[in-house]
Amino acid sequence: MKTETAPEAPAVPPAAEPRPPARALPVWANPRLGLLIVIAVLVVLFSSLTPAFLDPRLTLAPLQADISVYVVVGLAQLAVLSLGHMNMAVGRMAALSTFAMGLAYDRLGVPLLVGLLVGLAVGAGIGALAGLLIAKTGVNSFVVTLALDFGLLGLVTILYTWATGGVSFAVQPSGLSALRFDTFADYCMGEVCGPRIPLVVPIAVAAALGVGLLFRHARLGREILMTGSNTVAAELSGIPTHRRVVAAHALSGLLAALAGFLLAANNGAFSANIGESFLLPSFLAPVLGGTLLAGGAVSVLGTALGATLTQVIYKGLNLLQFSLEELKLYIGLVLLAALSLDRLRAVLAERRAVSSS
Amino acid sequence: MSRRMLSRIGSGLTVVALATTTVACTKKSDTTDAEAGGREPAQVKVALVPGGSHPYFQPWKDAGAKAKTELALGDVTFNETAGWDQTKQNDVLKSLAAQGYNAFGVFGVSPDNINSTFEDLKRQGFPVGSLASCPAGANKADFCLSTDVEVAAYKGAKAAIDAMGGQGNLVHLTGNKVDSNTQRRIAGVEKAVAETGGKVTLLQSVTDIDKDLQSAQRAVADLLAAKGRQIQAIVNTAYNPAVASAEGVRQSKLPIKVIAIDDDPTVLDGLRGGSVAATVLQNPVGQAQVGSYALMKLSGGCTMAEPGVTIDSGSFVVTTDNLDGYEADRTATTEALRKKFDGDLLKCS
Repeated sequence: MKTETAPEAPAVPPAAEPRPPARALPVWANPRLGLLIVIAVLVVLFSSLTPAFLDPRLTLAPLQADISVYVVVGLAQLAVLSLGHMNMAVGRMAALSTFAMGLAYDRLGVPLLVGLLVGLAVGAGIGALAGLLIAKTGVNSFVVTLALDFGLLGLVTILYTWATGGVSFAVQPSGLSALRFDTFADYCMGEVCGPRIPLVVPIAVAAALGVGLLFRHARLGREILMTGSNTVAAELSGIPTHRRVVAAHALSGLLAALAGFLLAANNGAFSANIGESFLLPSFLAPVLGGTLLAGGAVSVLGTALGATLTQVIYKGLNLLQFSLEELKLYIGLVLLAALSLDRLRAVLAERRAVSSS
Repeated sequence: MSRRMLSRIGSGLTVVALATTTVACTKKSDTTDAEAGGREPAQVKVALVPGGSHPYFQPWKDAGAKAKTELALGDVTFNETAGWDQTKQNDVLKSLAAQGYNAFGVFGVSPDNINSTFEDLKRQGFPVGSLASCPAGANKADFCLSTDVEVAAYKGAKAAIDAMGGQGNLVHLTGNKVDSNTQRRIAGVEKAVAETGGKVTLLQSVTDIDKDLQSAQRAVADLLAAKGRQIQAIVNTAYNPAVASAEGVRQSKLPIKVIAIDDDPTVLDGLRGGSVAATVLQNPVGQAQVGSYALMKLSGGCTMAEPGVTIDSGSFVVTTDNLDGYEADRTATTEALRKKFDGDLLKCS
């Protein structure tokens, strides 16, 4: 699902000849297709090198659960990349939100869903605060969210020490264990059981569908993209750009909170270190998937494929028992190769479009 | 029918399908912990998984290889790719299980979270030993074979108090404050100081400086600049501060006695050169060797007499007086630990 606003119209001289409409790019030029092919090639490669890659219980189910977390992490960053902004505090927003969830479960004994909603509200609130600061002060989003990240780092540690005397809540709300261990294969209708898909996967799918629909069909999403594409033009068109900035950052915080919840479910604990490893993957997934850092264009499907690609690489290399240094080196090399192939495909597509126009 | 309409219908159907699945399906009976057992030594594949790369764990490599040969195990692997991230460590453990490793000796990244990981492994029928660190609260692994960190810190502090002549100001340098093991180390040092009846004052416990050598060096430099002349001894209960304080005190030429930890070459050189007064050694070799042995026995059908029991793997104060003979003490302790598992800790039919 790729969504973008119309690019800024160049100043065309009145005497200029009207250009013929550009031909649609061929199917193979779609960046999502490129990612899909790279993922397919890697899956075939890893499966042939180590059959354990296709182990449904020990590899594929955990892989899907990991992908679910990082898709939502990518969406959290995508929400502000739509404006051309960054959220450097995506990990700490997740940490603060999961603290709120843990506190609600531990002290109030609320059901799983209620605790999740509390955490989502905290995430959206802290995101909205970041958006408000950016919109009101005009300070760059990088600076504001970086400062927020530092502040939250200290705050989260203080809060955990105060509430738990350590770094984790011991509480296990009812249903968390099912989210962690169960797949749909554990649930049957008569003799027919579901596929081996972890229960956390539909949550990530729902989040991706929601974000996709927002940016593709909802007025709010289109206005956020317009703001990201050209703030002045958006303002002149009557779009309340400040409120759209706040909304996009609130969405980013909300999705960061959801990612934190999914990671807590996967790890089986609400702890202070949730979100520590979110920052780089949050950029990697959308950028690999074709979301522009400059704003105005997002790709939800691309983000999902980008997150899948990075997790497939990590899982495959892990299964092949690469050493720590080799693991980092090869993850970098494979990602570079994937980006280069994608760039090559884009250049070929542009040339073909030019030559046929 | 427009794409927009198709998209909406697709989304609606997905929601309905999920709701139907959730409501109409029944769950298979809950999986209980699968029992490990019945494996011959050659079928046992042990994975030794530290929380990340650290000099402390390097002896696990050779000790694991030795255990593989001596015990005729199927395999013993050492995997340090977790990068001090509990999520990554969970992933590493699942990957190793997928490759056929069926017994796990784990140093959990987060003592507060690691029990969930142990439960996960045990559900799949794998014996699990918590090595070199015990979880916070009740241990969910089959056993925990680790240095009793409070005892080791107490011994280190006693050595420091001896080295400073039984009076003066002591400083404690250690790791992550919110780690439950750090709290136990602080308690061990405070206990030794309290026993002096006020002759020794614990000037400061500096925490959170074991992340890397650079941050430890910075903290030591600040400490020596601010309070160097008031301090008579520094006791370290973490590796990076130990290396940093030995080097910092040597360079500043202050008459401070440094008590280090472990037997990294830097620490041993400091001991020989006089910049380190003593070091408190742990027993990583014993943890890996005896841990692998216990995991083999559990795989073969033995059970723990007391599931989750904690066993002290030993700690030794080394000064220049016993620098050449400490390895023999450590080997003897390792052998005694193995006998303890055979005699008291394991129940084998």
